[in-house]
Amino acid sequence: MEYLSTDKILVIDLGTGDIEQDEIDEGLVQEKIGGIGMTTYLYEKYEKDEPIIIGTGLLSGTTYPSSASGQITAKSQVTGKLCHCPVIYKVGLEIKYSGFDYIVVKGKSDKPVYLWVHDGVADISDASGLWGKNVWESTDELRKFVGDDLLQTMIIGPAGEKGSNFAQVCFNHWSSPDRFGFGKVFGGKKLKGLAFRGMGMIEVAEPEDFVQRSLEILKDIKENSFLGNKGVGAMLGALKEDGMGDYLDPVTHRHSADYFTPYATNTALFLDEDPGLLPESKKDEPGILVSDIYALAAFKKLGLSVKDTGLALKACAKYGIDPFAVATLCGKTTLADITGSFDTIRGEVAIPGRGLFTSWCPVRPIFNDFGLSSEDETLAWWERRQAVAMIFGIQPMFALMCPEITENNLLELANLGTGLELSQDTLDAVVQHICG
Amino acid sequence: MGIKINALKCTNCMACEMVCSYHRDDGFAFLSACIVAYRAREKKDYFGVLLKEEEVLIVARPEGLEINKIGEEADPDKKADASAKPMLLREGCDLCEDMDDYGPMCIAFCPVDAITLD
Ligand code: SF4
Ligand code: SF4
Repeated sequence: MEYLSTDKILVIDLGTGDIEQDEIDEGLVQEKIGGIGMTTYLYEKYEKDEPIIIGTGLLSGTTYPSSASGQITAKSQVTGKLCHCPVIYKVGLEIKYSGFDYIVVKGKSDKPVYLWVHDGVADISDASGLWGKNVWESTDELRKFVGDDLLQTMIIGPAGEKGSNFAQVCFNHWSSPDRFGFGKVFGGKKLKGLAFRGMGMIEVAEPEDFVQRSLEILKDIKENSFLGNKGVGAMLGALKEDGMGDYLDPVTHRHSADYFTPYATNTALFLDEDPGLLPESKKDEPGILVSDIYALAAFKKLGLSVKDTGLALKACAKYGIDPFAVATLCGKTTLADITGSFDTIRGEVAIPGRGLFTSWCPVRPIFNDFGLSSEDETLAWWERRQAVAMIFGIQPMFALMCPEITENNLLELANLGTGLELSQDTLDAVVQHICG
Repeated sequence: MGIKINALKCTNCMACEMVCSYHRDDGFAFLSACIVAYRAREKKDYFGVLLKEEEVLIVARPEGLEINKIGEEADPDKKADASAKPMLLREGCDLCEDMDDYGPMCIAFCPVDAITLD
């Protein structure tokens, strides 16, 4: 596969230590498009090896607005279903630029390992020194070891190592959209995580047209008045979670965006530092970056002060445990009790619809209404929107905000980028296969 | 004439970095960008934009602009970023003079209009 692709699938067997690289057949892209179309195919191909499939969308890391996301596809040991977790921040981007469109992780290691993926090569590395460390310590140590602060990680903390049903695969230092307990799947394979870095180049079949159309789409997107907002508080406000703005204001530092995403979906809270500080903080860990709007709202509902909510979110991110599960299932109401409960939480987090996509994304539009009326219609729209976003690599929260991200223009840009002729029928078939 | 960056408006999305590199490489990469979203102080939520011009490196920090002449020692308390070093080897901003349809690409593509023409 020559365009919009590294042309490489990495296949790693943790049991034998074998590492192989496969080329990506153009015919397969014509059939499965990419993202979770392809990770689902790869999962089915390697199913007997209980694989974790990591992938990128066909448009990930391009100039298509919000082409930020990658995907983790695996069978959740909690729900028993094949589920898809979006890879957000700048981590999805780095997967592709480190040299691979897809990574298949098969089998189980008998000792802790991590995968170091960089510039088109991959190593299985000893993680015995990282095992037992929390998410922040592990990411910091990997960055120090490689000597690169821009190293991007997928990592588990103690929750994943201990096999908690609520263990997340975290990204860099932060909580992730993982509501499927994928941290437990990593932990069961003695896989501490993956580290990505690369300076690859992605070729485009029709670069000028691709970039020109990207700009036209971006200009249309910028007409939306919701882009006057930033951050998680405004998103919760649009979802009628009242009072969030006032609650967060005293600790809000800045808002930041995932790669090429016009809306800043992440908000940093400063807990141990003046939130109005503009110069670099002298403190190493002044706060927490928040992307999980429902975890934030759930801690507030427990009656925590905003500072304690921030500290609870930070403790969850370090431990590598789903903060929404903690907030809704722990049955505690003080920070000390909440952070002391991580190993004893029981219960279930509801996964909407067919159980494929994460409830980290609201099951309804944000800021715009997309002309939806009934609940059933909204749920069907949401599942399709999530599937399409994760086939092409679109930031899944932004896909719920922005009507200018259309199946039509995604296909158009995919065709300009690849030189293939992907049709609406192909997309329908891929979505149908994923959603069943 | 040059470009001006408002680091407080910036959301660290890297769009400018991608399109700047594209204008030199005709493919998608980050290798040749002379504008870079610096993001190495992730835990501190400290980010802004670096711009390499012909003879100066401009660091658009949230607290204000800093202009360093290339070749001179920067203030050791204010180490720019891991991204600054490789940038020194790259070509400086040419205002995308060859991109007739767009003008400066980073200005056209910044989703939050944090970059303007000075
Ligand atoms: S004007 Fe062009 S060359 Fe200059 S920084 Fe922006 S994109 Fe790069
Ligand atoms: S494109 Fe704009 S918002 Fe994005 S990193 Fe560059 S200056 Fe910041």
